[in-house]
Amino acid sequence: MDKQKQYRFLARPAFKALVKGLMKGHKVYGTVKKDGLPAWSEISEFEDLILFQTPAHLSAKEFLFPPRETLLKFDITNNTCEAVVVAEDQAIIGLHSCDIHGLSLMDRVFSYGAPDPNYLEKRKRTVIIGTDCFPDAYCFCASVGTMDVEEGFDLFLHEVKSGFLVRVGTERGGKLLRKFTNTRAASAKEVKELQEQRSKKESSFVTTLDAPAEDLPGIYAKSNDSPVWDKTGSICYGCGSCNTVCPTCYCFDIKDEVKADLTTGERVRVWDGCTLEDFALVAGGHNFRKGRSERLKHRFNRKFRYLSDRFSALFCVGCGRCSRTCLVKINIAGVTNELIRESREK
Amino acid sequence: MSSYESPVKNNGCACGAPSPYLPVRATIERTTRISETERFFVIKPSDPLLLDYAPGQFFMAGIAGFGEAPISVTSAPGRKETFELCIRSAGSLTNALHRLGKGDAILVRGPFGRGFDLDEMKGKDLLFVAGGIGIVPMRSLIKAVLGGKGYGRLTLVYGCKTPEEMLFKDELEEWKDSGVDVRLIIDTAYPGWKGPVGVVTTLIPDLEIREGNTLAVVIGPPVMYKFVIMSLDKKLLGPEDIFVSLERRMKCGLGKCGHCQINSAYVCQEGPVFKLSELKGMHEAF
Repeated sequence: MDKQKQYRFLARPAFKALVKGLMKGHKVYGTVKKDGLPAWSEISEFEDLILFQTPAHLSAKEFLFPPRETLLKFDITNNTCEAVVVAEDQAIIGLHSCDIHGLSLMDRVFSYGAPDPNYLEKRKRTVIIGTDCFPDAYCFCASVGTMDVEEGFDLFLHEVKSGFLVRVGTERGGKLLRKFTNTRAASAKEVKELQEQRSKKESSFVTTLDAPAEDLPGIYAKSNDSPVWDKTGSICYGCGSCNTVCPTCYCFDIKDEVKADLTTGERVRVWDGCTLEDFALVAGGHNFRKGRSERLKHRFNRKFRYLSDRFSALFCVGCGRCSRTCLVKINIAGVTNELIRESREK
Repeated sequence: MSSYESPVKNNGCACGAPSPYLPVRATIERTTRISETERFFVIKPSDPLLLDYAPGQFFMAGIAGFGEAPISVTSAPGRKETFELCIRSAGSLTNALHRLGKGDAILVRGPFGRGFDLDEMKGKDLLFVAGGIGIVPMRSLIKAVLGGKGYGRLTLVYGCKTPEEMLFKDELEEWKDSGVDVRLIIDTAYPGWKGPVGVVTTLIPDLEIREGNTLAVVIGPPVMYKFVIMSLDKKLLGPEDIFVSLERRMKCGLGKCGHCQINSAYVCQEGPVFKLSELKGMHEAF
């Protein structure tokens, strides 16, 4: 019964009213069909918004952590600068459970130590609307504990035959729902339909990890000398695609861009990637992670071990994006399973 | 490191600053070229909060239009108005910094990271092992120790490629006069050089080290650490007796940009100073 109370029923026309209502006061981002595939885009027509069951190629991190973002404006003539923090009311519609877990991790990263206003101001003003999904051949969220999500969203929409069952995650989400739409209590039948969907989803994973999520940091800790790294590193291009598409890769470079007037400019941060060759290169010319194997090992360890020490969570959310995008088909789940197997043979 | 509280007391964010990326304006009080590639700066920050630094910590120093880079503090702590940096010209930013003169503005953020714990060094013999510009952060520590009381015997082993690259020569003499056992070495024979020739590690076997009462501090180029640590091990100085300060690429100083990471440690947060025992299991350290 409690389960049923959690959900409100939202009819399809009411969903349209919600999105259209949001579009009045927010910049709305959602998934659209681009070259036949799901892609994130700003939504200007409700009809463009398509709720996909599988992840878009890129994650939605760009709306909170843009690929290029101004941190300071400066004037070279007198060597002065001022801080720049840009944020506006926005909504992201169509985030899956893994993506919402990814965002929660980004929240921890950018709140850590000195809070990062450029991310946090955007985050504060972003309405998160999650939607249901179904695993493809690369998804493995069930193996890293991110198949379900209980927080980190304002509204979460579960699609059923007759419409949507909505979970309200925040007061803001509840207010928006009441402002733009009407909902009713979900029926027992609708909730049952949802539960059946979930069971079907749970049993449909093609990719799984062969060890419990809580064992993964320990398995990675013992994997430093594994032959898997040289084997995988030898085919890796070091192209950084995995970093780009990952919802929890947040490393960045900071550089100064001078305008054509040669007196003013901006200090910007741009996405960087730990698998790129110059990532750990210092001024004296020493590269602390020269080889592709070392860099790949570093990235995988960040996902399963290094950051879990600091933030008490795995940084892989099981979305499968890095595997899906990899030009040489390095599969994060496959590599992890090899390490799991090795750890058992030891 | 269990929660996500930063261990750094001062995050380099000036009080009330709207952004931790916003540098503090500082003025160059004095600057001198001290070697072919190094320039020494006395810097007066507009915010006194920046003077609350410890030896071993670093600043992000920059110029609008050129970016910023991590630079170790080289002055003793506890100064009232200025701090000192010594900067090697190695790229467009540091070359631009070298062009700055007295009265010019420099943009600084910091201090960042964890410095040396002087209390832990009290009552101990201290062995400072510096290679190349490792002397720059070491100078801050040596001056702090010489300015304090209650330390044991002090020894400095300092190696450079050539005598010309040897920094703070006048001060080396002053330190000798203050009782520091200063031992210098250069990599290869050089006209006029009468001292020993070789890598810094060649000087270590001859040192008289009181086991159990000595702490060693090692700062130098990446290649140096492993060999110095091996030599110190032969002198029975172990992971609890050795401190290192590690260099890495840094962009933010705030534990976010990811560049300075060594396994699970962020050098800009937990370092740059580490006790050797803290680096156990961190394969990427050396």
